[in-house]
Amino acid sequence: MSVDYSRFFTALCRGGVEFILVGGTAANVHGSARLTQEVDIVYRRSRDNVARLALALEPFHPYMRGAPPGLPFRWDAETIWRGLNFTLTTDLGPVDALGEIAGGGGYDALLAHTLEIEAFGQRIRCLDIRKLIEVKRAAGRPKDLEAIAELEALVDETDH
Amino acid sequence: MIEAYKKDVDRTLLRENLKLTVEQRLRNLMELQRLSEELRRAGQRAR
Repeated sequence: MSVDYSRFFTALCRGGVEFILVGGTAANVHGSARLTQEVDIVYRRSRDNVARLALALEPFHPYMRGAPPGLPFRWDAETIWRGLNFTLTTDLGPVDALGEIAGGGGYDALLAHTLEIEAFGQRIRCLDIRKLIEVKRAAGRPKDLEAIAELEALVDETDH
Repeated sequence: MIEAYKKDVDRTLLRENLKLTVEQRLRNLMELQRLSEELRRAGQRAR
């Protein structure tokens, strides 16, 4: 399933959710040509923001990705507060809502390494390319090696 | 090790992407996701 980025960003921004775009979609924002199947965000872990995130995504029926149907999963502020990182299916496509990421920490730690982008009529905080490389290096996953190489090539291209 | 992978990066694709706006890049990604899903379904039907 593809991600409806327009409706996703609109829902979060209109809902006043504090979040940072990370992962493969952030790489695409910086010019990556690689395919990613989901959208990854780091949301701010405050009680108010968690409540806003719950409300913003609730109309799109979030459910645990890969879990069998019918489990007693409730997407609400309490569930998010008790958990941290959620890999979800939604009506807008697959969403990873993360409280923190390896090598980067949470929203407050990442905020200084973001830039504001505009898309679909919304202003969105996106992880900058150098931090994105750092985070992917810290994750240490073999599958990220090609992605890191591409991001470094993008830095070369834009530094010239 | 990353340097070895960098040699295989198709920079022509990156240069084309860098000419686009952020929104155009995201719209292209959505198209790619849709195409990938269609191909996956076609593959399932063919099995």
